[in-house]
Amino acid sequence: MALLAEALQAVFEPTTLLYLLIGVGAGVLIGALPGLTATMAVAILTPLTFWAPPAQGLAMLLGVYNSAIWAGGIPAILINTPGTPASIASTFDGPAIAQRGEAGLALGINTIYSVFGGLFSTLLLAIFAFPIARFALRFGPAEYFALAIFGLSMMVSVSGKSIVKGLIVGVFGLLLSMVGLDPMLSYPRFTFGRFELLDGISFIPVMIGLFGVGEVLDQILKSREEQTRIIPRIGRQLPTRQELARMGPAALFSAAVSAVIGAIPGAGGDIASIICWDQTRRLSKKPQEYGKGSIEGLAATCTANNGVIGGALTTMLTLGLPGDSVTAILLGSLIMYGLQPGPLLFRDHADMAYVIIALMVLAYVAILIVGLGASRVLVRAFMVRKEVVWTAVLILSTVGSYAINNNPLDVWFMFFAGILGLVLRQYGYPLGPLVLALLLGPMAESNFRRALTAAGDAGAWVFVTRPISLILLILAALSLVAPIIQQRRKARQGGVTVQP
Amino acid sequence: MRIHRGLALVLALVMTVFLAGSVSAQYPTRQITVVIQAAPGGVSDITARTVASLVEKELGVPVIAVNRPGAAGALAMSYLSRQAPDGYTFGYVPVELSMVRTLGYGDVGPDNLDLLAQAVSVPAAVTVRADSPWTTLQDLIDYAKANPGKIRVGNAGPGSIWHIAAGALERATGVRFTHVPFDGASPAVASLLGGHIEMVTVSPTEILPALQAGEVRVLAVMDRERSPVIPDVPTLAEVGVPGVVVSGWGGFAAPKGIPADVRAKLADAIAKAIQSPEFAEMAASRGMTVAYKPGEEFAAFAQEQYEMFAELIPALGIVQ
Repeated sequence: MALLAEALQAVFEPTTLLYLLIGVGAGVLIGALPGLTATMAVAILTPLTFWAPPAQGLAMLLGVYNSAIWAGGIPAILINTPGTPASIASTFDGPAIAQRGEAGLALGINTIYSVFGGLFSTLLLAIFAFPIARFALRFGPAEYFALAIFGLSMMVSVSGKSIVKGLIVGVFGLLLSMVGLDPMLSYPRFTFGRFELLDGISFIPVMIGLFGVGEVLDQILKSREEQTRIIPRIGRQLPTRQELARMGPAALFSAAVSAVIGAIPGAGGDIASIICWDQTRRLSKKPQEYGKGSIEGLAATCTANNGVIGGALTTMLTLGLPGDSVTAILLGSLIMYGLQPGPLLFRDHADMAYVIIALMVLAYVAILIVGLGASRVLVRAFMVRKEVVWTAVLILSTVGSYAINNNPLDVWFMFFAGILGLVLRQYGYPLGPLVLALLLGPMAESNFRRALTAAGDAGAWVFVTRPISLILLILAALSLVAPIIQQRRKARQGGVTVQP
Repeated sequence: MRIHRGLALVLALVMTVFLAGSVSAQYPTRQITVVIQAAPGGVSDITARTVASLVEKELGVPVIAVNRPGAAGALAMSYLSRQAPDGYTFGYVPVELSMVRTLGYGDVGPDNLDLLAQAVSVPAAVTVRADSPWTTLQDLIDYAKANPGKIRVGNAGPGSIWHIAAGALERATGVRFTHVPFDGASPAVASLLGGHIEMVTVSPTEILPALQAGEVRVLAVMDRERSPVIPDVPTLAEVGVPGVVVSGWGGFAAPKGIPADVRAKLADAIAKAIQSPEFAEMAASRGMTVAYKPGEEFAAFAQEQYEMFAELIPALGIVQ
């Protein structure tokens, strides 16, 4: 703690703070524009940081990283389009809160709980870095498979009214996730001989299409009503004391769980926020509100997607292993500065390790100030006529999906996903299971086969003889069965009340 | 209106023909594009961008990087081969240039491009856990011979250069490993540290943190020379397995058919960049060896590698 105080003092100087603010500012723009991701944000700013001293360069990069993930929640809430994949789960409750006239409150929750999640996981990083990283290493192929299955089991609970419709969409998503090179044998599947399809269907253009374009097309078809704005009112921004008390348990749970999920290489904010949304719903006193504008649900997802950052940094700093593409770029920058991440970083460069932690804390202070200060402006930007919002979303979706890989095919994917999103909305099919399948299908498949390859004679027993894997699979089974039992029980109770 | 447009077109054509000679003499007069086959932020990207910024200084025109990731780089490399051979587009080409056609990821090889210069080389490092019983490569080979398939080797993906490295070692020593492909090199290293596999063959940079912490042991590097990142580790030839060299490499190439004077200017600027102290510093920090080879030599090397992979890849059972 003394080291942290020292580091805080070291970073508290005007130039570093300026770099931090530039990072946070750039992060707001990039994160809030669908299609421009946190990875791109960090990659774009990285070359600018090479000539700056380490503390200043890292201030900019950590500022932009944390801020882009937080800002991704803004379009998720205001226009039902996640700014980055980490905010997908924020579309479950956020837009409903905004549309009932509490856009300010929804954005306030996004800011407050993103900051809470980020600070909580940074604190964990400062105290328990090594035990967390050691735990993360216990995840082998079998555990990754079980984690993916646990995530996929949430298909049922994100299905909304009809479980059957949810499963239809989910299985369709799993099929789509099979397109591309086979992960073990490198055999091309469903690529129609096109080399562009070897890497599979790009996730981000599909996400932008399903949410952004699909939503716009759906609104255009429905727009005969008199209402000319999507967001009716801003409303108050800060939650009341009772609301804070209500969201507390969900946020605390999400912060702790997401920090651990973030530490596991390859599992990021998208998975963490979906898992936390579903698990906190089970803890909630008002689970029926989840998916229809629950402030608890929104708080859980906003906490979780920033909460993974501290975890991801833990693994990167203590083991030198990047868990995702953003930490891979950050790792490169640290090496450029002559700071080799790994177990020795905390011994040989403990001062820098704590400077990083101090910068994380400062970044969240900046996000809190910018977030609470600017959200009125942000909401106002969306309080124009619907047609203006629609046009802007369509243009940004096109530009964003091209910008990912500079590949025109991705724009087509975005477009077709948009049509699909419209059709699914019109016929009452939920989007959640489809997105879940696209995200987790490849993780489940490749780790299933990887685990079997590595298991040798043990075969499929490997999934149940290893404790972490077994626990995750039991949790998956429970979350599959629980909603069905609940429905039955409700039906039975309903039956009882009807009888005189 | 139509006549005017036609006239303008004819004029433009005539001008082009007249100016063609002088244009190439004045090269470069406008912005140059460098095509990068990987996503921003990775090692290929940093290498290409470092050279791009140095070429920009040398030639005095902006050099803009464009990332076109996909299909192990095949998308970018075939895109590059289709661009106008005017010296205003060049690209980064990694070892996959000699692999993708055999792997079936794209129809492009060293013969489709004009190779300008090789820049870097990264050897495969045969790495095991520090608490494993194997302290020399011979120990490992002896164990693998007695227990075929027991040693699980993690690699960066099926058909990746690090998969082929393990396969080449298998063939040269007559042993059998169980290959476990991961989605990139660092998940494979994580799996080694967690004890889920026994060995990895990846670049020295990837295992450096674990090596410094004493958690892994590098038994050999699969290169002709020792790696500057881990100079204490012997080469395969030094420990009795000569003739197996598998390394990742990277260089620069242009579409075929650029005018000789333009090519000379561009290749010269790239060569200067690769041999500069700035580039050396970047390469050292990323664990790469600067391995400059001029165009013809690079082309011959890439072709030699192409033939080696054409034989190795099917033998590993990766290609159907």
